[in-house]
Amino acid sequence: MAHSTSLRSRRAAVALALASGLVLAACSSPAGSDSPSEGEAVEPATITFAASTFGDPGLGPRLQGLIDTYNSSQDVVTIEPAAVPFPTFGQTVLTQMGGGEGPDLVRFDMPEFTSAADAGLLEPLDDLIDADELGLQPGPDEYMTVNDSRYGVIFDTSNYVMYYNTDLIPEPPTTFDEFMATAKATTQGDVYGLAFRQTQAEENGVWQDIFNYVYGFGGEWSDGEKLTLNNPKNVEGLEAYQSLYDANVIPKGADAATFRKMFAQGKVGMELNNGGYLVATRGTNPDLKFSVAPIPFPVRAQGAIMAPIVINANSEHKDAAMDFINWVLEEENQVALQEALGASSVATKTERTEEQLAETPFLPVYDELTNSSAPQIVVGFGPQTADIRKIVVTQVIAALQGQQTMKEAMDKAQDEAEQLVG
Amino acid sequence: MRRVRIGVVGRMIGVLVVLGIAVFPIYWMFTTALSSDADLFAAQPRLVPDFGQFGVFVDALADGPTLTWLRNSTIVAVGTTALSIVLGIPLAYALSRFSFRGKVAVGLLLLMTQMLPEALMVVPLFSLYRRFELLDSLVGLVLANTAFVLPIVALVLKGAIDGVPRELEEAARVDGSRPLTVLLRINVPIIAPAIAAAAVIAFFHAWNEYVFAVTFIFNKALQPASVGLAGFVGEQGTAIQTIMAVAFMFTLPAVAFYLFAQKYVVSGMTAGAVKG
Repeated sequence: MAHSTSLRSRRAAVALALASGLVLAACSSPAGSDSPSEGEAVEPATITFAASTFGDPGLGPRLQGLIDTYNSSQDVVTIEPAAVPFPTFGQTVLTQMGGGEGPDLVRFDMPEFTSAADAGLLEPLDDLIDADELGLQPGPDEYMTVNDSRYGVIFDTSNYVMYYNTDLIPEPPTTFDEFMATAKATTQGDVYGLAFRQTQAEENGVWQDIFNYVYGFGGEWSDGEKLTLNNPKNVEGLEAYQSLYDANVIPKGADAATFRKMFAQGKVGMELNNGGYLVATRGTNPDLKFSVAPIPFPVRAQGAIMAPIVINANSEHKDAAMDFINWVLEEENQVALQEALGASSVATKTERTEEQLAETPFLPVYDELTNSSAPQIVVGFGPQTADIRKIVVTQVIAALQGQQTMKEAMDKAQDEAEQLVG
Repeated sequence: MRRVRIGVVGRMIGVLVVLGIAVFPIYWMFTTALSSDADLFAAQPRLVPDFGQFGVFVDALADGPTLTWLRNSTIVAVGTTALSIVLGIPLAYALSRFSFRGKVAVGLLLLMTQMLPEALMVVPLFSLYRRFELLDSLVGLVLANTAFVLPIVALVLKGAIDGVPRELEEAARVDGSRPLTVLLRINVPIIAPAIAAAAVIAFFHAWNEYVFAVTFIFNKALQPASVGLAGFVGEQGTAIQTIMAVAFMFTLPAVAFYLFAQKYVVSGMTAGAVKG
């Protein structure tokens, strides 16, 4: 408990520092004049690329392989992965960028991307990216624009699905009632039917998880102009999330690192997660028998991890950074990136190879959900998403702990968030 | 007689229980590192290490930069400890023995610095470090950690110096000793146990520090172990046994330093007792 309190204090303090960093950045002078430009020769440089996925046991080595391929494809630019651990990735990189430093290239999650773009920490790419010419998928690409400027290109995008252990659950549930019944029936001894994040220490993870319940029950965080946090549909979805928590079908207190390892060991029956989880799970236990299905909630709508690659406005080698982005967007490298990512998608439409489909027959399940997936931001309030997330998650967890009803929680969240956005 | 023997046994049991509570987390870390994936989440937890899994330690040392991390942590922790003690002793002496305007305010300011979380200072310090080219430098980390731990070191040492009889210093001055000589020859030996305690505080602070290290260090080769350990936590997967193996190795130097310092704490305390 002391550790948990200490962690909460540390995270609160880090969040405060992050906010200070963004304020500092907003007040600082604009980016340098060495903006990348089309057609000019790239100057030799060694640049850094920060992505939280570099540290993943399954995915990290695959991404490193892609970087190695780029480095060996030419002798002008060398990319080195930046050393930024996942647990504090967003805060660390934004603090560094706010202080005038930071990696040259960054793969951000959407909340941090919109905050950084709004604070002027990212290099605008309007003149350097032609979406039509490159064939960028319009759905995810529309979120790359903040304040009428493009600041990034999709590096990977990954829809949320329901993973289930086929040894424990031969037939996946197709409705929420079946989902609950399956979770209860599977929970026996040291095996749990389901797992999800439920502690303040994993604020971002809880937000990702509850996003599926809110949208899966027909809710939404905003209508694009006004916050709708206490929308009755949102409350209904969150009450469904709470009912699973109260049913004791999850390993309460276990963090994602623990319960994902448990899933890989056959100790958890189901988990809602994105396509990136496929590679990680196989990397942890190649023998695990599992499959995926659409999330069995009333409405076919779920979250998606959309991770743009961006250029740090402080970078002294923006042309070199742009060279890598251009290289990644080439058709054959998009295919290579998608193969490295597993079930995730990339910026352009690529076809799954026969080998991929033979190895993972359920890959089309991910792809078919692209049109019903949404990035985990508050639409219309992108730059404030991180702050709204903190408010919502704090209130939801207080409801889980029995301090208030979910309706009261979301009413409070609505009031607090409205004061925040003005 | 019988009551006395039961008392001794009771005390021994009490000591063993306390020892068990203190040591168990380290033992559990070691056992977890030496567990198979299946054992990690078994209904009956494995209480004894499976030495067949010892390869996890070998792999952590051979494949990863664990030794580099430990070296960097040692440099930062030893540097912080040495600098904070060197600066803390005269500061504590001044606060204890000299009267000057603003002395109370200085004492309060020292206390106030302990109420500020490190994370609050990261952004301004980052700007400052950038200007003075201290980013990506272990020296920069030593300075940042020293700045944070120096007040508590000074307050601990001030309390110890307050307890040193002024007559001893006056006798030395009568014999012609200068103030610095009085401090080094009279006070420092007497407050050695407090210095050892302050050194332990400074060492542990710098050894465990994460926020400055993760923000100010970009170069992998300069990362301390606290940051390196966090790097094992992935977005989708985490190598639990590897983390535990490296974390176990991470605790050993800190424990060794504590045992080393404890010797001086105890010897200082008993030295006074013998003379008395």
